[in-house]
This record gives sequence, structure tokens and C-alpha cells, in this order.
Amino acid sequence: MSFRGVFIAVFLGTAMIVAAFMVNSRRPLPEGRRMTPALVKATGRCAQCHEHETGAVVHEFEMSEHAAAGLTCLDCHRPLEGQEVLPHQGFEIARDVTSLNCAGCHKDQYDQYLRSRHAAPSWAAVTGVEDFTADQVAFAEQHHPGWVDREANALATLEGPAAITKGCQKCHDIGKPNKDGSIGTCTSCHARHVASVELARTPQTCGQCHMGPDHSQIEIYNESKHGVLFHAQRHLMDLTADPKTLSAEDMPVPTCSTCHMSGIGDRLEPTHDPGERLSYFLFADVSDRRKDFRKAQVNMKASCLECHTNNSIIEFYREAESVVKSTNSLVKQARDVIDGLRQDGLLTPEPFDEPIEFAYFDLWHYYGRTAKHGAFMGGADFVQWHGFYELVNKLAEIRHQADELRGEGLTDESPSDAAADAE
Amino acid sequence: MNPRPTPPPTPSDRPGDRPRWWALPPCWVELFAAGNLGFLALDIFVAHSMNDFARPTEWIPFAYSVAAPPLLALCWLIQGRVRPHLADDRPPGLPPWRASFARGLGLGIGLAGVVVGVSGVVFHLQSHFFREQTLHNLVYTAPFAAPLSYAGLGLIVVLNRLERGSTLEYARWVVLLAMGGFLGNFALSLADHAQNGFFHPAEWIPVVSAAYAVGALVAVAAFPGSRSTWFLAAAVMLLQVVVGLLGFVYHLVPNLRGPMPTLWESFVFGAPAFAPLLFADLALLAGLGLWAVALARPEVLRRRSPEPGVSPAS
Repeated sequence: MSFRGVFIAVFLGTAMIVAAFMVNSRRPLPEGRRMTPALVKATGRCAQCHEHETGAVVHEFEMSEHAAAGLTCLDCHRPLEGQEVLPHQGFEIARDVTSLNCAGCHKDQYDQYLRSRHAAPSWAAVTGVEDFTADQVAFAEQHHPGWVDREANALATLEGPAAITKGCQKCHDIGKPNKDGSIGTCTSCHARHVASVELARTPQTCGQCHMGPDHSQIEIYNESKHGVLFHAQRHLMDLTADPKTLSAEDMPVPTCSTCHMSGIGDRLEPTHDPGERLSYFLFADVSDRRKDFRKAQVNMKASCLECHTNNSIIEFYREAESVVKSTNSLVKQARDVIDGLRQDGLLTPEPFDEPIEFAYFDLWHYYGRTAKHGAFMGGADFVQWHGFYELVNKLAEIRHQADELRGEGLTDESPSDAAADAE
Repeated sequence: MNPRPTPPPTPSDRPGDRPRWWALPPCWVELFAAGNLGFLALDIFVAHSMNDFARPTEWIPFAYSVAAPPLLALCWLIQGRVRPHLADDRPPGLPPWRASFARGLGLGIGLAGVVVGVSGVVFHLQSHFFREQTLHNLVYTAPFAAPLSYAGLGLIVVLNRLERGSTLEYARWVVLLAMGGFLGNFALSLADHAQNGFFHPAEWIPVVSAAYAVGALVAVAAFPGSRSTWFLAAAVMLLQVVVGLLGFVYHLVPNLRGPMPTLWESFVFGAPAFAPLLFADLALLAGLGLWAVALARPEVLRRRSPEPGVSPAS
């Protein structure tokens, strides 16, 4: 009896099995060794359809650090507790991907963000407290008393739902509460599928919202030496550098994130709460020091020290703080005029129903803020022409309108407005 | 040189010598091909439903699967029996045109199957793997080998009309076609289960099983007279049936418990329920091949004491 055939059969079969094991062992580890079969499968299955239907999404993901780290689509899109499940082509995915999904891996960053004004205070600034749970309100009020447990924005209410939906909320949704109990989406700064650190470090990303007359940070930055240098040397910088090891070699010129969020060597830990390094409430009509004023200023100065001497930093802060004081003084003068009119019954209690209220709002909300931001960000023109000049101009207008409301301006007994201002 | 060569089989279609139809492998092979082509209609409908028949060409294999079995049945009616006539057959009592027309139609159906299968491979070649040859893309690419099942079935239909069923050559071809099927099963189960990261160790069973099926059938084709090889192959084929049924259950249960909103979606997007049955199906074809081998080389089943230095298989 010959066993040649049996030998051939066993040899061939075994050789094929060994080959199969060898091929499988050559696969990248993250591809084959994940928590569930669905996670493994998603590595390649999602792209089969989506490269045809939403090809840019796949391409953006392929460029991302997430892809380089071996993540699959389902790592971010799988539903977590509290999220609505959407059955999709054999997979279960979350109907909405929120910061909760990001927090699974980036918990510290999410916690820092949650303490920031980018979180609940941002959304509450438009819609008030009503969209938040009691726990969310309690947490946010610990860090920002009065900024979440508040009424909806009076001006937004006046403008109506179209302006709110297509305008206000497009920026303020960075702090929108989600159905799953989380707040906001990280994609506001990092974008969705590319999930980019580089993007978050690019000034234009912050400038999507921090622009315009009421918070003209991007315009100020572009005018500043920082901005000019950045645009000139952008090609020499590595905006993709690891946040843990970021140094002046990677980014010798700062962008918004460098000063407000990035870690610098051993001196400064990175943070997702931009407020940690801010010493004043510059966005307020009359700016006060923040709660952790000293600590915040030390943190910010630590980043300044990467390029500037201590003396020049102290001098810079002294000058900027003098702008805050002067601005506060001018805003208080205007506020006193408005308060006086209201006390005398010449203004209704309702906001934004008289022209002088808009004039006052313009004064502090546009020009006051602009002067202060310009001072702290090195935007000289914004301190003076777009700031103080407009402040005194508006103050004169407010006084003139107040005189008219009191009936004093009608007889025009004074020699001229200029003389009144001088007096 | 073997002093006692196995005598070649004597083909005969004389009425007196002819066994009953059910005792002839070609009849069953023909029914196997027709049945499989019909079943592929359902299989391909489910498979292409996954992308909602996005391209009109995806309807071609479905249309072929629906049309081929009735056309083969028409051939049987025309030729007066299931087993096809060969070119030199002169069946008594049957007008010559009917035999040749049925044969021509059958060959057309078979060759069309080959065209559909090869075209399917070409269409599936648009997959990622052919743009960038990486293991990742190989694993997650569209099943480019799957359409070859049409080519395989087409070749069976053609084989039945070109080769006399009583010859060893015919038996070897059937065994080799079954082997080709198992080779496809090996590649597909390896790639498909790699998509799950071989999460459950049982997912290696079909890979191992298909590998030994390929080995056993290659050995039978190479040594058709080897008794030990024949019995090994028969045992391995029985094992394939078990693997197929086990796999069917393994694929079916998760789909029934699946998270999809409807049962249909669970089957379209879930584990391919019918795929494991291909093991049992191909084992059946291989069994027919082994049967044909046994008919062509009767010594593989005959118990006898070999003379010293003489191998019955040689």
C-alpha cells in the first residue's frame, strides 16, 4: 500500500496552514488585536463604501494621527452609553459623535475643556441655562459663577431664531450640551476626520470665531509681530509636533494655542482650558481680575519667557494693564450715563429698545474689548484707532444722546459739543 | 514498469450495458451544477444587496443564475436525459439535431458561466488591493475570487459535454474542480475571518479544513489509484460536511441575534450564512469525483493483497 498520496495530501495541507498563519502574523497588531470583531472589521470595511460616497472623509482620516496609530472608524463612531444607536451597514454606530467619544482616550483634555469657558458658559451665553442638566449647571457654576445659570442672551432673542441658529450657535456650539450628557464637540478646533493638532495650532482655526468687531483676536494677531512672523515663517515650523515635547525649535513663533494652551518644555503643562493663563475678564464691560489672577499670569508669562526677557514681559503687562484701567474708566463713564437715565425713568428697563443702549453696547462690546485685546496681544492700531478713538467717540455720542433725552440738547444752549467734551 | 497495469475503462453507451441514470456520476454532476447555479441566484442577490446593486453590471450574475438552471433543464428535455451527449454520441431513437442542439446549448450555458465568472473577477479587481498591494488591502478588498464560482460551475457544465463520464480523465477533472473550490474556500475563509481578527479561535477551523481538503484532492488527482489516498480524501470530505454545517450554525445564530433593525439586514450585512455550506457543497462535488475515480479505477475500493514490489496504485 503506497502512502505517497497521503504524504502529499498532509504535506500540502500543512504547508497551506503554515502559510496562512505566517501571513496573518504579518498583519499590523492594531488591525488584528482589537476589542471586538466589529472594531477589527471596521478597519477596512467602512472605506469600501465611503471612499465612493464621502471620499474626502476617508482621505482626511488617512492623513490623521488616528490612522497612523491604527484606529478604526468604529473607535470613534461606536455608540457609548447614553448615545443613540444607528444600525448602519452591519455596524452599530453612534448617531452623533460627541466629545464623549473623544474623552474615551483623551479624558484629561476633555476634563480641562469642561472647566473652560469654551464649555457650558459658551452655549449658555446664547441660550441661557435651559439646555443643561442640573449636574452640568452645578459643575459649571463652580468654575464660572453666574455664567451658566443665566437668562438667554437678550440681543440674540431680539434678533430671532434665524440669527441664533445660523449665526450665534455656529460658534457657541463649542459648548453645546449633547444628549449623551457630555458637552461640546472637539471637532470645533480639531476638525472631524483629520483630528488634527496642527489645525488646532493654526491661528485661522481660532479665528473662525475669535474675529470681528466684538472679539477681533485674529485681526489683532495678524497685525501683531507674532502674526507677521508666523505668516512669514510658517513653512519653517512644525505645527504637528507632539504636545508633550513641543519646543521653540518646533514653533519659534507663537500662534494662539502656543500662548494659551501649549506646554512649553518643563515650565508649562499643556491645557485645554485657555482661561488658565488669562488674568483678566477682558470680554466684560468693566474688566476685573480673574479668580486665580496670580497663577494665571505666572502661567502666561512662562510661555512669554520662551522668547522674551522677564523685564520686557513685566513692562508689557504693566502697559497692557494700564489700558485695562483706562478702558474701564471710559466704560464706567458711559455706564454711569445709562444708569442715570434709567434711574430718572428716561429709559425703559428692557434692554435694546432704545438707540442709546445700542450705542453703549457698541462702546464696551466692540471698542472696549478691542482696545484691551489689542493691548495684551500686541496690536497697537487696535488699541488706539479701533479702540480708544472709537471709545471716546462713542462716549461723546452717548452723552449727546443723553442730553437729548433729558431735553437739554434741544435748546442747544451750549456753544458746541466739542466745548462740552472739553469741559 | 508496472507488470500489471490497470486496464483502461471501456466506455460504453450500449443500451444493454448502461446502468441506471442515478448510478452515473455525470448525471449527479449535471444536477449539482444546475442546483448550484440556481442557489447562486439567492446568494448573489444577498451579496450585491450589501451595496444595493450600485452598478447595473451587478445584476448580470443574478440574471445568469436565474436563467441557467431552466436552460439546462431545457437541454435535458431536448436530449431526453440528464446526462449530456458527447460530440460523437449517436443516441438511438433521438434525432441527431436534438442531441447536438442540446449539447451546443449546454456548452453555451457553461461557457457563459465562465465569462460571467471571469468578468466578475475583473469587476472586483477595482478593489483596494489592486491599487496598493498591502496585507491590509488584501484582507479588506472585495472578494475578487468569489465570482470564480461561476467559472467553476460553467467548467463543470462544459466538462460534462466534452469528457465521457466513465473515464479517469473525467473523474480527475471533477476532483480538480472541487479542489479549486476548496482553494477558493481557503483564501476566502482566511481573508474573511482575518477581517474579524480571528476573534474566535473557531474561525481557524475552515482555514485548516480547506487546506487539508486541497491537499487531499490534489493527492487523489495525482494518484487516482491509491487506495489510502482515496480513503483519506473521502474522510477529509466527510469532515468538510461537518465543518460546513457547523459554520452554518455559527454564522446563522449571530445573525438571528443581530443588532440590525430587520432580519433581512442582519443577513445582508451580517455573517454570510450560506458561505460555510460551500464546504458541504464542495464535499459533495468531490464525493462525486471520488465516486467517478472509483468507477474508473475499481481497485481503489477492492480489498486485495498486493504482491511484493507491486503497488496497486501505480
